Amino acid sequence: MGRRDRRTRLADAALGAVLPLLLLAAWEIATRFALVSSFLLPRPGAVVVRLAEEIAAGTLPAAAGATLLRLTVSYGIAAVVGVGLGIAMARLRTVRWVLDPVVSIALPSPKISLLPVLVLWFGVFDTPKIVIGVLSCVFPIVAGTAAGAAGVDRHLIWSAENLGTRPGALLWRVVLPAALPQIVTALQVALPIAFIAVVVAEMLTGGGGLGGGLIEATRLADPAGAFAHLVAIGVLGFLAMAALRRLRRFILVWHEEEQRQGVII
Amino acid sequence: MAGRSKIVFDAVRYDYTPPGGAPVPALDGVSLAIAEDEFVAVVGPSGCGKSTLLHLVAGFLPLSDGRILLDGRPVGPPGPDRGVVFQHFALFPWKTVRQNILYGLERKRGLDADTRRALARRYIEMVRLEGFEDLYPAQLSGGMKQRVAIARTLATQPDVLLMDEPFGALDAQTRGLMQEELLAIWSRRRKTVLFVTHDVHEAVLLADRIAVMTARPGRIKALVEVGLPRPRDRAVIRSAAFAERCEDVWALVREEARAAEAGVGQMGATEAGGAR
Repeated sequence: MGRRDRRTRLADAALGAVLPLLLLAAWEIATRFALVSSFLLPRPGAVVVRLAEEIAAGTLPAAAGATLLRLTVSYGIAAVVGVGLGIAMARLRTVRWVLDPVVSIALPSPKISLLPVLVLWFGVFDTPKIVIGVLSCVFPIVAGTAAGAAGVDRHLIWSAENLGTRPGALLWRVVLPAALPQIVTALQVALPIAFIAVVVAEMLTGGGGLGGGLIEATRLADPAGAFAHLVAIGVLGFLAMAALRRLRRFILVWHEEEQRQGVII
Repeated sequence: MAGRSKIVFDAVRYDYTPPGGAPVPALDGVSLAIAEDEFVAVVGPSGCGKSTLLHLVAGFLPLSDGRILLDGRPVGPPGPDRGVVFQHFALFPWKTVRQNILYGLERKRGLDADTRRALARRYIEMVRLEGFEDLYPAQLSGGMKQRVAIARTLATQPDVLLMDEPFGALDAQTRGLMQEELLAIWSRRRKTVLFVTHDVHEAVLLADRIAVMTARPGRIKALVEVGLPRPRDRAVIRSAAFAERCEDVWALVREEARAAEAGVGQMGATEAGGAR
């Protein structure tokens, strides 16, 4: 452990930066030598300046905050409901019979197509965006949780019973922790789906947020503003995923996958 | 038989129902009495239902017919009076070595936290895992995992120890060491043990008596008295008596393994005939 590991990790990070830097260089070259009109593609410098201005003025942070709030609320609701329903489906036959067809139909269907109806019902502000976020990402959570909870090794359940676990406590003591790696994976899959749904809903209905700001900037023929929003959307999505990865490492310290480097035999 | 019977199998039948299929008799008419503090090994061809027999005693599966008595009473739902050690350890991966061993103790009545900790420490020492208490199962080798599993089961002080091919997943060296360790632990603290294995040498090395099972549907084909002196250690393997006993048991198992293969062949033939 130590120096060698750190060095390889640095090398990996440097390798990961190569492609983005090349793209950035291509972007700079294309705009500097006017290969593309600056109306279609503003210069990177102009976008950076715009980002700084919008951050200083507080408009971009406000938009990012609005998007983040919608994302957090919808994702939080979907996580609680999805994990609950998934566990119930795995454990109770009646629930499985009732929900299975619904989940099978809803999972692959494009939830964003409900947006017009949701606007009709809930208006154009936060509610329809939160509802579309929940609808978009709850089904993968249900399906992933149900698969994880149904696939718990029966020997684990037997050994818990054998050590004196009451039947009512099995869910909490064994099924949930044993299914946790798959539940967290389902939650990791669901996060970008919720994020995409919220941003697209903002783009389609306005009402602020990064998606709303992006559309507004393009309508006002403001390419630097549009690109500033695109950058902010990218950064916010990246940070949300990184936070979730960190959370995974924290709650699944025991999991083989997280331990691969620390096995002592 | 010396001593009173601890476990009695009385015409035990178990029908296995595959998902969406008709029930298949896995065990049919198993009768066997195991004395208090006796070490009985069960051997037999694969698929003869020896693990099923153990799962029935543990209460994991429902009997189709017959009775299993523990101290004269029918066995109930799973509980810590019958400690089980599984082939693939069945440790809780989200708990450390210490937490795994504490798990059963926390569910036992009348133990305060200090007693539980002291007991856990004692059993960690017994299986020589000092210094590994705070590691997770994923960080341990197979042999260490099985030592944790044995300590976890022994710590709850079960009346009866049910071991389901406990060393089957280990490499040959580790298996040898674990067998010696089990012999040492058992000679210090005798218990009634039902030990399922497919390894005839292991059965002869460890057991007082060996129950040889028939091919499916499983039934007791023969009971072999091992008759080697106790306390035993690995040195016994070099004795003529050991080799002889292994040969006896192996001859019985071989007959059944042949029968099992012939049976499978026959079934295959019938199925092919039916398909045509």
